[in-house]
Amino acid sequence: MVETPPKVEIEKTRKRGFSAIALVWIIPVLALFVAFGVAWQSYNARGPVIVVTFTDGSGIAAGETKLKYRDIEVGEVEEVGFSEGLGEVEVHIRLKKDIAEYVDESSVFWIIQPEVTAQGISGLSTVLSGVYIEGSWDNEIGTASTRFKGSDVAPLIKPGDSGLQIAFRTTTNGSLTDNAPIMFRGIQVGQVGRAQIARSGAFAITEGLIYEEHRHLVNSSTRFWETSGFTVSIGPTGADIDFSSLATLVGGGITFDTFVSGGDDARDGEVFEVFEDKETARNSLFTTSEVDPLKLSIIFDENVSGLTVDAPVELSGFRIGSVESLSGIVDFNQFGDSRVRLNVIISIQPARLGLPGDVSAAAALTLIQDRVVNGLRARLASASLLTGGLKVELVEVEDAPLARLTQTGLDLPIMPTTKSETSDAAATVEGVFTRINNLPIEELLNSAINVMNSAETLMSNGDLQKVPGDVSTLLSDISNIVTSEDVKNIPVALNATLTRVEGLVAELERQRIAEVLGKTLTSASEAADAVTSSVAGVPELVAEIQTVAAKAATLEFDVLIKELTSLTSSAEALVSSPETAQLPVALAGALDQLNATLKELREGGAVQNVNQTLASARTAADSIAVSARDLPQVITRLNGLFAQAGRTIEGFNQGDELSRSAQSALRDIQQAAKALEKLARTIERNPNSLLLGR
Amino acid sequence: MELVGTPKKTVTARAAGLVACTRCARAWPLETEVCGRCGAKLISRDVNSLQRVWALWLVGLMCYVPANLYPMLRTQQLFSVDESTIIGGAVELAQHGAFGIATIILVASVVIPLGKFWAIAFLALSVREKGGYASRHRLLMYEVVEYIGRWSMIDIFVVAILSALVQLQGLASITPGPAAFFFALSVIFTMLSAQSFDPRMIWDAQADTDEASGNG
Repeated sequence: MVETPPKVEIEKTRKRGFSAIALVWIIPVLALFVAFGVAWQSYNARGPVIVVTFTDGSGIAAGETKLKYRDIEVGEVEEVGFSEGLGEVEVHIRLKKDIAEYVDESSVFWIIQPEVTAQGISGLSTVLSGVYIEGSWDNEIGTASTRFKGSDVAPLIKPGDSGLQIAFRTTTNGSLTDNAPIMFRGIQVGQVGRAQIARSGAFAITEGLIYEEHRHLVNSSTRFWETSGFTVSIGPTGADIDFSSLATLVGGGITFDTFVSGGDDARDGEVFEVFEDKETARNSLFTTSEVDPLKLSIIFDENVSGLTVDAPVELSGFRIGSVESLSGIVDFNQFGDSRVRLNVIISIQPARLGLPGDVSAAAALTLIQDRVVNGLRARLASASLLTGGLKVELVEVEDAPLARLTQTGLDLPIMPTTKSETSDAAATVEGVFTRINNLPIEELLNSAINVMNSAETLMSNGDLQKVPGDVSTLLSDISNIVTSEDVKNIPVALNATLTRVEGLVAELERQRIAEVLGKTLTSASEAADAVTSSVAGVPELVAEIQTVAAKAATLEFDVLIKELTSLTSSAEALVSSPETAQLPVALAGALDQLNATLKELREGGAVQNVNQTLASARTAADSIAVSARDLPQVITRLNGLFAQAGRTIEGFNQGDELSRSAQSALRDIQQAAKALEKLARTIERNPNSLLLGR
Repeated sequence: MELVGTPKKTVTARAAGLVACTRCARAWPLETEVCGRCGAKLISRDVNSLQRVWALWLVGLMCYVPANLYPMLRTQQLFSVDESTIIGGAVELAQHGAFGIATIILVASVVIPLGKFWAIAFLALSVREKGGYASRHRLLMYEVVEYIGRWSMIDIFVVAILSALVQLQGLASITPGPAAFFFALSVIFTMLSAQSFDPRMIWDAQADTDEASGNG
């Protein structure tokens, strides 16, 4: 029942000698090999460890905090500990190998953490991800270092940064804000670093960075000023609030401008002053104060009430500095008594002395030392008579007793003094007041009152009030003469003449003899000019009459009857003289003649006679001119007469009889004068009317 | 017959002049080199078995070291990244009071693999030593080790499932750490090592003991 298995062919397997043993062990060997390979590789890839010390390790955790360079992770904190004495936090950072060699001794490290400042919020990403350490180094391999001092805030100027690196210094009243932006036309072109107080305490100083692309905006004549805060100005156009940006309003900022052309390119490390406002900055271009002031001490024996801090120090009237401080000084050894003297410390700006070459406090001191030997002295002088303020003056005193600028030890050099001017000025003012006091004002007033009383008595005299009536009667008489027919006819005659001249001119024009006409017209115009100039005297005459009248109205009546009588009669004689009477007649005659001539010409109408006609016309015009020229004479005489009359009237007295004839004569003259004036005005207003008859 | 109860003496196939095919279980005369039925190579005792066991065991142990040093899981939550090793994670869980889970993790990831290493090493060593531990118990140990081997991958399963499920962009994500890879390797090599072991050698040792006792 048992089935024996069938015969099978047995194949011999190959004998494997060592193979079975070797093959299986390849696996662990391989594994070991891989393990060691990986271990070696990872060990080899590890960079060096550097130690950075911080004052406090805000949020730094071993194994978590990264080191970043340009926001890319380049290392990790491996260990956080304390330095010896627990003074600082030591952070051990494992660098990546590829950048490790660049981390040389110029590298800087700082912690990035969320920060809220006036300029904005930074490091916001670290709120959630935790702080990290930012490092910065240049792209050159320098001396290797493994210990670094970290900073709590980002450095303004990072190694390898391009850009203009300058420093800022405040002026006396200026201030600086940490990390303030540098704006130019509203664009941030740089930043200010952390401000520090200079060792002397006189100013604050900070480094600043102008970004590379804006570097060209700054040169050595560029001036910087603050733009922090805002200005409010109220004027006729309303209120105006000005601030450059919200950021600078809160956090401050500085801006700059280059007011003058020229100036060398700014170099790295150059120091600029930050002024309080634009005006000061602009002004400073000419009053540079880039050197330390020279300080001198002056000891005054005198009373110096009125001298204040910041009072001017002047040399030959030019302000070279100011009073820095005032204090009392008692030194028995030096002065021989224990009086309190005033120690005034002045600061002199060397730049204002116009020093050649080196402008420095030392050079200024040398100069002043030299001048003191030659008699330069300090004295007090009045700065203002009104306020009684004083100033310090440096003056050259002739024949001054020998003195030197003395300097003992570390004390300031002491400037010798001379007698002050203040007492003189006070005396002068006092003298002026004394003199005013001594004036006999009361006597003067008494005399004046007396004079006025007399005047009042005289004025209230009844006789005086009757005078004007008589004078007006006299004047109406004169007017009668002037309104005589002859005088009145003159304009009519003139008019007629002119009408004819016009007609003639029209005819001449027709006959195209303009060149001749030109001559004629010139003559006519001369005549017109003569009339005008003669008339020019008329207003004078009128003015004279008015003066007389005015005088008559205000006269003081001291009796001079005889003179008056004789004058009146002479006036009468003048008015009634044939010459005066003939003048208008002569004028009229001349015009008539001209008229007749023109009439003839017109009636003749012959072209052949044109030359003659024109000659006649010229003659006629000339005669008009001549007669017109006589007018001034008449007027002058009338003027003279009136001047005389005025003088006569001055002596007029009611008590004596005034000749009736004189009165009427005066009246006539007045009227004649009026008529003449009227005529003269007409001609004056329109001289052409004489020619054209219109 | 007498085989029932406590066997005094076990007759091995080898002693009976037979060799069993390990693939199809057909018994062949000892000289047969290839199974006539399935063509598998016949070998009565795999003399290289122990070498393979030790080699693979070593690789498994080597892989187990980084599996415990490197982080197993990388958990990223919103802004924080948490990397935990196997033991670190278990300790953390225990600190939070989850002792049950901590125990499971410790057992599955530490106790069992270490136990396997120990068991395999013990088995491999015990076949050399004549006598000693009861052969039946050693066989049982071998079977347990081989059975439990496939469940050692439970850690890797958890990591794989978590990595696949928790991928909420940005909010939270879990990625396997390097330890997962090494742990898987360690398990694989341990299993291979266990499989390389030829359990028949247990009986040789038994037989030797019997002979020795019989002779003695």
